[in-house]
Amino acid sequence: MVTNDRTTSDITKRIFREVARLTWNGELESKKEFLPETIIPGPLPQFRCCIYREREIIRQRVRLARGQCPGKNDTANIVQVIPAACDDCAISSYSVTDNCHGCLGHACYESCRFGAVSIVRDHGRIRAHIDPQKCRECGMCAKNCPYQVIVHQVRPCKQACPVGAITMDEETGLCQIDESKCIQCGHCIHACPFGALGAKTFLVDVIHMILAGRKVYAMVAPAVEGQFGPDITPDSWRVALKKAGFADMIEVALGGDLTAAAEADEWAEAFEHGEKKTTSCCPAFVNMIRKHFPTLSENISTTVSPMCAVSRMIKEQEPDAVTVFIGPCQAKKSEALDITINNNADYVLTFDEAVEMLRGKGIELEPAEDYTQQGSTYGKRFGNSAGVTAAVLQCLKEQEIDASALSVKVCNGAVECKNALTLMKLGKLPENFMEGMICEGGCVSGPSRQKALNELKRDRDAMIGRADGRGVHENLKLMNVEQVPMHRD
Amino acid sequence: MLNVSICVGSACHMKGSREVIAKLKDLVKMHQLEGKVLLNGSFCTGNCQHAVCVVIDDTVYSVRPETAEAFFNNEILARVS
Repeated sequence: MVTNDRTTSDITKRIFREVARLTWNGELESKKEFLPETIIPGPLPQFRCCIYREREIIRQRVRLARGQCPGKNDTANIVQVIPAACDDCAISSYSVTDNCHGCLGHACYESCRFGAVSIVRDHGRIRAHIDPQKCRECGMCAKNCPYQVIVHQVRPCKQACPVGAITMDEETGLCQIDESKCIQCGHCIHACPFGALGAKTFLVDVIHMILAGRKVYAMVAPAVEGQFGPDITPDSWRVALKKAGFADMIEVALGGDLTAAAEADEWAEAFEHGEKKTTSCCPAFVNMIRKHFPTLSENISTTVSPMCAVSRMIKEQEPDAVTVFIGPCQAKKSEALDITINNNADYVLTFDEAVEMLRGKGIELEPAEDYTQQGSTYGKRFGNSAGVTAAVLQCLKEQEIDASALSVKVCNGAVECKNALTLMKLGKLPENFMEGMICEGGCVSGPSRQKALNELKRDRDAMIGRADGRGVHENLKLMNVEQVPMHRD
Repeated sequence: MLNVSICVGSACHMKGSREVIAKLKDLVKMHQLEGKVLLNGSFCTGNCQHAVCVVIDDTVYSVRPETAEAFFNNEILARVS
């Protein structure tokens, strides 16, 4: 997988591992201040101007790994800017490249309504120039240039943000997140080539709970299958997590089945009343509706997410259990912090955080001998775009409800979500229901994915192919979980 | 809207943050303040010695399940009524 952040992502993982190791050993408080020196021994800097800046970045990253804000401003957002790491990349949005022919057409000059384009003589050559102070970024010059020599550059973080939450501080040039707009999708984190964005983690909390002797249950997302190669199955995770002290691991694919069954009932009822509904399992999508389309909040289905369904199932049996979701998602952390939902996951770890938490204790994911199936193939496909819809339609079919008149708009990625929500807000969405996933391809392409969609497809299909063809309700009966409360309250 | 953040970090969890949350939720419902008070979970604020930490307007309060009702009356109700 080609990513923007190979090096910084390796450093981040190393920090998770070191923080986890110290926490497992009960030495975090006494030794955390030496982590910057351990990780950046010097004497020469490797990436930045000096080792002192490199160490400051590590210090700020360690704070994030411990669930705290990197700087002194304490804010509630999960995604945070690491100020020491931000390069304040000076990008003036539209600029003329060296390929300018200095033609006589001057379409760029003619098309600019703000007087930002001038034709200048530069080292003897005639060429166009854009004054960044006057440019309003309308893009007309680039559109009209016959040679396409005017480029549009956007900071990678800003470009990755689907909701326009990223701006630059006018004085310092540092990246800023408008927390009233941020939907915690985490797309910016891996877009920044300097690794200047990160997310708070629950690493230390999860380890403390295990060390305190609490019964901690892991719940691994259906997006896991195929992420770690053909041999690392959900059973591999169960073995490794139990070795680390977890009581057990339940596949969230089972939650997918629970959610699909409840969602099918909700959709059937809404359809009867002519109401439109959206799915509720992608937390970044739910955040998008609440923050950017608040008038549609009532349209979010009240069925809880697969993560919450499994957490409730565990807590129904053991009220004191601590539940930890492990998946590719950052936004799930915001769902866990939404305490209006009863008995949801207590903590959330990304795949990267969970793998390094295990490594901090010397445990690796290994091929497992056993094969356990806890979800139907429909529940397992919840992590793919269109997977939720397929599972819900399957449930309607199993209940012999005629769904032929029912139509669903499957929105794959933030842009499609935004477009469909805009139509819905205007009352112009033709479909009855909407499946929204903010990551393109679904959860399998979440910010903590281990592979690109095309790289993992074969392994994922093969792994899910091992599961038998049981239906959703059949699986719920087999797993004896038909009594889980499935609605938000 | 009054934002009330209750820490769900491990130290606060072990001192009963889930019980504090449940009590505050019931009290908010009882006083019909759903539109005026927003209860949030929060990451560890680093004030673990005061667990359970509840933050209103940058002030950290130390609340226990048994003091949750008094806290609600003194700090939340007083602010919104």
